[in-house]
Amino acid sequence: MNFDQARFSRDDVYEPLLSEKDSTTVEVDADGVLPDDLTRDELTLPALSEPQLARHYTRLSQMNYSVELGPYPLGSCTMKYNPSFTEDVAGDPRAAVHPDRSDRTVQGTLGLLHGLQEYLADIGGMDAVTLQPPAGAAGEFTGILIAKAYHEARDDDRSEIIIPASAHGTNFASAAMAGYDVVELPSDEDGRVDIEALDAAISEETAALMLTNPNTLGLFERDIVEIADMVHEAGGLLYYDGANFNALLGRARPGDMGFDIMHYNVHKTFATPHGGGGPGAGPVGVVDELAEYLPSPMVRETAAGYEQYEPESSIGKVHGFAGNWLVLVKAYAYIARLGDEGLADASAKAVLNANYLASQIDLDVPYGPFHHEFAATSGDRDAADVAKRMLDYGVHPPTTKWPELVPEAMLTEPTEVEDKASLDDLAHAFNAAYADSDEALETAPSKTSARRIDQVSAARNPRLSWQSLGDEE
Amino acid sequence: MTAGNGRRVGSPYAPHTDADEAAMLDAIGVDSVEDLFDIPADVRFDDEFGIDSTDERELRQSLADLFARNEELTEFLGRGHHAHYVPALVDDLSRRSEFLTSYTQYQPEIAQGFLQVLFEYQSMLVELTGLPVANCSMYDAATALAEAALLANRLRRGASGHRVLVPEHLHEGRLGVLENYLDGADMEIGEYPMDDGAVDVDALSDLVDDETVMVYAESPTVRGVIEERLADIGDIAHENDALFCLGSDVVALSLLQEPASVGADVVVGEAGALGIGSAYGMGLGIFATREEYLRQVPGRLVGVSEDSEDMRAFTLTLQTREQHIRKERATSNICTNQAWVALRTAMHIAWLGPDRLVGIAKDAVTEARALAQRLDDLSGVKAPVHDRHHFREFVVYTDQPAPAITNDLAGRGFAVHALDDHHIQVCITEANADAADEFVAAFEEVA
Amino acid sequence: MFEIPDDKKYLESHEWTTTDGDTVRVGISDFAQDELGDVVFVELPTEGDELAAGDEFGVVESIKAVSDLYAPISGTVVAVNEDLFDAPELVNDDPYGDGWMLELEPADESEFDDLLSPEEYREQTE
Ligand SMILES: Cc1ncc(COP(=O)(O)O)c(C=O)c1O
Repeated sequence: MNFDQARFSRDDVYEPLLSEKDSTTVEVDADGVLPDDLTRDELTLPALSEPQLARHYTRLSQMNYSVELGPYPLGSCTMKYNPSFTEDVAGDPRAAVHPDRSDRTVQGTLGLLHGLQEYLADIGGMDAVTLQPPAGAAGEFTGILIAKAYHEARDDDRSEIIIPASAHGTNFASAAMAGYDVVELPSDEDGRVDIEALDAAISEETAALMLTNPNTLGLFERDIVEIADMVHEAGGLLYYDGANFNALLGRARPGDMGFDIMHYNVHKTFATPHGGGGPGAGPVGVVDELAEYLPSPMVRETAAGYEQYEPESSIGKVHGFAGNWLVLVKAYAYIARLGDEGLADASAKAVLNANYLASQIDLDVPYGPFHHEFAATSGDRDAADVAKRMLDYGVHPPTTKWPELVPEAMLTEPTEVEDKASLDDLAHAFNAAYADSDEALETAPSKTSARRIDQVSAARNPRLSWQSLGDEE
Repeated sequence: MTAGNGRRVGSPYAPHTDADEAAMLDAIGVDSVEDLFDIPADVRFDDEFGIDSTDERELRQSLADLFARNEELTEFLGRGHHAHYVPALVDDLSRRSEFLTSYTQYQPEIAQGFLQVLFEYQSMLVELTGLPVANCSMYDAATALAEAALLANRLRRGASGHRVLVPEHLHEGRLGVLENYLDGADMEIGEYPMDDGAVDVDALSDLVDDETVMVYAESPTVRGVIEERLADIGDIAHENDALFCLGSDVVALSLLQEPASVGADVVVGEAGALGIGSAYGMGLGIFATREEYLRQVPGRLVGVSEDSEDMRAFTLTLQTREQHIRKERATSNICTNQAWVALRTAMHIAWLGPDRLVGIAKDAVTEARALAQRLDDLSGVKAPVHDRHHFREFVVYTDQPAPAITNDLAGRGFAVHALDDHHIQVCITEANADAADEFVAAFEEVA
Repeated sequence: MFEIPDDKKYLESHEWTTTDGDTVRVGISDFAQDELGDVVFVELPTEGDELAAGDEFGVVESIKAVSDLYAPISGTVVAVNEDLFDAPELVNDDPYGDGWMLELEPADESEFDDLLSPEEYREQTE
């Protein structure tokens, strides 16, 4: 397959900035509206006609890679196809209501939220689910606050959260934001939780252990039952990072493994679009014993219809309102479309695809057996360079240099949506890039809109707005 | 794979043919997909969720039916979540799959389009706030406020304590989120009183001390009041070495005093009012600050650099602040943010241009004033309750019980929010202004 | 092979230090700058700050990593290398020369004895 990304350029810039196309300053004359000293003097913003804007954004869109253009196998990110119809469903004007509406007048909205709470609880083996956290990291933070509330209600002062070294950065940051000290757990030589190290780390200070399962190498924590027992015996709780749940749908549930709290990454597992970085949603499920601490409001069904309520010992709010509504609608629609069989099949094909792709690439995959993703190593080639070269083959490269456990890691997650031919293309991109000359790697990419971008210059001399570009040189 | 009735068994979005699946299993060297799962028997799930798969047409119909259970009311609702008319261009272009189905721009060479839009969004916020650094999104206004407080606490300029002072009139969602974010940093929240809906500056002055790391004020407030003494509030904060954080929203910023001109160190608030309209509270958090706090900013930043052909190019930058590098010492745990909402907001601002943007902001003042006056003319009604300038919304006093009025208005096709037994909040923008006559008539009947 | 000058003493955390009898200069080693990659930002204390041996006195950042800087010995900061604010690349280009970070007036010269010799430091980096 040959690939050349669209590339609009003139002089030394690609598509000019809006401000370079037009910059209009208007005097803010608020005569008769507000006293002069309460208003600003002027405002400078672009003022382009609608056709000009349509062209601006369409050109920019063409300088952007996406799932609908080709494979996007970013490990841990689950870039699967986002079904078109879910956009239309979320765009239903009758669903565009304000959060201050009384329950009686928004039974449709509450019905959907209630339905999604139930779906997610079933799929995760949890007893109750809040939909409020607006992303996975916010879900982690919410979950840890719930753990904290639980311990505090028992007058049990605990100060530590244990997190495996291979975990995602948000786990560490979320635990710290909730006020905990982080105890980092080394991996064993198989890439899984080191049981001895865990044993040494657990104490009466342990508030929770946060685990990703399968972990960020795609490996199932086989000792999960033993791990859960160890944590519970010490009075701690077990937290499940649901970023990798796409591997397990219908085959295993965090609740059955002994997890007390989990977040779902609906913008990964349940196919809501990533939108160039967000919005997502990070619903949190808990076991019965913790349901009273969930954020407020929750939705329940009564004889009179759906209603919102505040759980008895609620931790309060983690979002100003009810979270990322539009994302939740799309997640609901996706789950309802697939049903039991579809969900199980999604996981089966995700795992099949990862294993097939791994079998077709020349790079070594040091840890296994893996599920929906694998961490290949580019060995003595720089993984970032190999990734840049892969771009020239018209595919998005994997996540690079993470997890650190694997040197020059290329964490690859093709998801279930690729067929064999597309995986073969992807394997070809891997192998060709991996085998390319040093020079080809270092000068890549050459078929993308922009060529290799100087990260050092961006950081040494931060230019973060079009206003800052004027001051240069 | 299809079953006898023609309906697909399995995921409709997994494209494997039987032949491909067999070839793939063969290449891997296993007999069945089940062999690839390394899950111990004791934690295997062999039950069902009981969720039936539904075909697309049926599902769309059933969800349309579900949403039809929402009553069609004209909303006069605000309190931090505002609806303005969203042009078709925003829907059309933001839904282009190149934008919608892309990930965070970890490979900037292939993601220039989105990066440029985010850079343009940041620049628009820089213009609106007058502050030189704006990030490319927080989840919403509430979490942005909480992040500002954490930033103030990290800087801890002169303060010996960890207190954040917030106004008595603050949206319960913002207060609740703030409480949760501050708990882990051992910070505390103090409340200062309002005087007729605006900051009681003297009382604030008495409350600020060297324990205070940040003073937060809003304009417009949750009750729609335009704050008249922002510069004084900023001075009080600065005299005590505390940061001054100003909450606002993207429309109000185009008209009201520029935050930098009144001494704001951080600006937070809602930007989703342009871009998504009513979305059950889903929003876009603004975060802008001074250059000197750049290294303390939470969230992602897009910057300019050059590529190997010396062309200007965009990239995520200063990432050492973020969780994937600095882990527990990151400035925030935020990873996935609201990028696509920021894209829509930038498109909406660009579509309006400065003239029309200032225009709808002025309308927000004049329409609110006119509506308040008309309600005030009704018997048993006083509006606005606060003798102040208002933006979009205001509080109404009613002799009759407010909850009953709210109910009766719903019966007549209008949604308003009862604050307590005798107070109702009413919000107007160009999105509902056409219904103002009928709204006043209905109000007259029920009040 | 990384340069490890004989006239300096080292910390396990890769700071070097040297004294001219009055003041003590501190920077990071050639090995450390290479591990970090292109330095993009350096944060240093202000003159007059008191540091105890082992205290964090600043950070050095590259694109992908952040390192805390530790004081090799106790003392008062008498100078910081302000050139690094505009030209952090000096840390890469000349770690033992123009890339120096701060100067201390030592509180207790004997603390020097606790530091690694060039040989000991070389062993650590190998
Ligand atoms: C393993 C893991 N945990 C947590 C997260 C954080 O989720 P979010 O980006 O939705 O905040 C991610 C994704 O980025 C992840 O991959």
